[in-house]
Amino acid sequence: MRVIEPWVAEPLQSFLDESGARLTLLMTSAGQVIAQDGFTRSVDVMAAAALGAAIVASTDAIADIMTTSAFGVVLHQGPKQSLVLRAFPTPRGRWIGLVVFGSETSVGLVQLFFQELAEGLAKAAPPAPATRAVLAENFEYELNASLRSLFGR
Amino acid sequence: MTDPIRELTAQLASDPQSLVFLELGEALRNRGQPAAAYKVARMGVNRYPELAASHDLLARVLADQGDRHAAAEAWRRVLELSPGHIGANKGLAFLAFRAGDPEGALPFLESALGAAPGDEGLAIAVQRVRTALDGAAARAATAAATAIAPLAPSALRGAEGFEPFEDARGVVLLDTQGLRLAGTLDAPDGSDVSDAVAAHLQGVSREASRAARLLDLGAWENVTAESPDGHLLVLPPTQSTVLLLLRDARVPVGRLGLIAEQAARAARRWLERLA
Amino acid sequence: MRNLGEALERVTRVAGIRGAMLVSESDGLVVAEALAEGLDGAAVAALAASLTLRLRRTATSAGLAVPHVVQLRAERGTVLSVPAGDDLLLVAVAERDANLGLARLELRQAAAQLGS
Repeated sequence: MRVIEPWVAEPLQSFLDESGARLTLLMTSAGQVIAQDGFTRSVDVMAAAALGAAIVASTDAIADIMTTSAFGVVLHQGPKQSLVLRAFPTPRGRWIGLVVFGSETSVGLVQLFFQELAEGLAKAAPPAPATRAVLAENFEYELNASLRSLFGR
Repeated sequence: MTDPIRELTAQLASDPQSLVFLELGEALRNRGQPAAAYKVARMGVNRYPELAASHDLLARVLADQGDRHAAAEAWRRVLELSPGHIGANKGLAFLAFRAGDPEGALPFLESALGAAPGDEGLAIAVQRVRTALDGAAARAATAAATAIAPLAPSALRGAEGFEPFEDARGVVLLDTQGLRLAGTLDAPDGSDVSDAVAAHLQGVSREASRAARLLDLGAWENVTAESPDGHLLVLPPTQSTVLLLLRDARVPVGRLGLIAEQAARAARRWLERLA
Repeated sequence: MRNLGEALERVTRVAGIRGAMLVSESDGLVVAEALAEGLDGAAVAALAASLTLRLRRTATSAGLAVPHVVQLRAERGTVLSVPAGDDLLLVAVAERDANLGLARLELRQAAAQLGS
């Protein structure tokens, strides 16, 4: 498990221990990665985050068209592995969780413990730091710092 | 020279309803093929449940395998079908004596001798047991007969405190890492499935604990799975161990809870002795 | 069409039963439920399904047939589950002093009714 923000670690570890998930990715709704577990290549993390955020955005758009409230969960079930995408509120804004799991667990269990994860993150989040203007060099520096955190380099 | 086992097997194959399984089972025992002997004996009991000789064969096979409690149950069944059966009385006497209970062995020996008064071997055995019950010889015999190797796989079933489980077909005790501490478990076909089952038990314990906790039911006490051919009972004798019992499907469901309590106490006593 | 409500009701009528539900076994999701206040149906479904599956694998590895009843007994209650056909489980949550004998009977009869 790798996290950008240390306070995410404990609730996330608890989720990983209980849910039996194979891959887990937490990101902002803009696709910025917050934490990951199970991925071995940074390019896969980036791609999964971007695609996951896009799927959630598309689903939100469908909900708008249908004039219904946003769908909480998107489930893709496969023959050997399945994928759950779930948007949830945090003190830091709307985040998205992407979880890949196999037959050793179930979507019911993943959902059950994901709910606990969301509640745990809400409790663990420290007050948000004051926002500041993002300069190009800051962005690249922060991106590289994120990658180092996520992959331990 | 033809192989008698092969001949008997061929006879049984050509006429599955025949009683030749009795001779075949005995031949397999004598040849030191316990698994095959067990299969034949079990098949015989299933086909002839009211035949004392089929239960007698099964009991002898089980006794060979060290499954004293199952052997005792089979011999008791023989006596129900054929009171005074010499083989069953001898067998039960043997088991009692081996368990360090010469006093328990004596009635069976005397009953067998009563049915076969000319049997010198039985007469000597009776005399020996009576002597053994007097003083120092009895203590020595008891100590020798009850010596337990605490870490031997079959010790758990025969160990002190597990006597209530005479008809338990399997008992396995694990640590929290899913490693076997003691006991064995056989599948209905006689194969040893102890390690295969042990591999699943740690997960069962974890699931049960988690479910009870998250559903606000408190600490879990036991889990049972009832199937047409046997009941599985899983419980935590201590925080760091898991116990599984396999009971015959004929055991009333209501008894399973009582058995669970007895089993937990017995396992704790056993662990204390081991420590 | 199977009457799910009727099947659940016959179980919840038993004294001491806090709730009954029909659960998708492989997914651990609720199909139908009749629960008292304070019971988290999603949690019951997911956890009961997972435990039942685990016990089934243990029983199979012991050479036994698929269990027809799985029971978890805890300090403050009991969870029962029986197969109800088509990857379904009928699950009941009972108080400690519930009439488990009757609950088991109703569960099995309700499950048979659903499976037919």
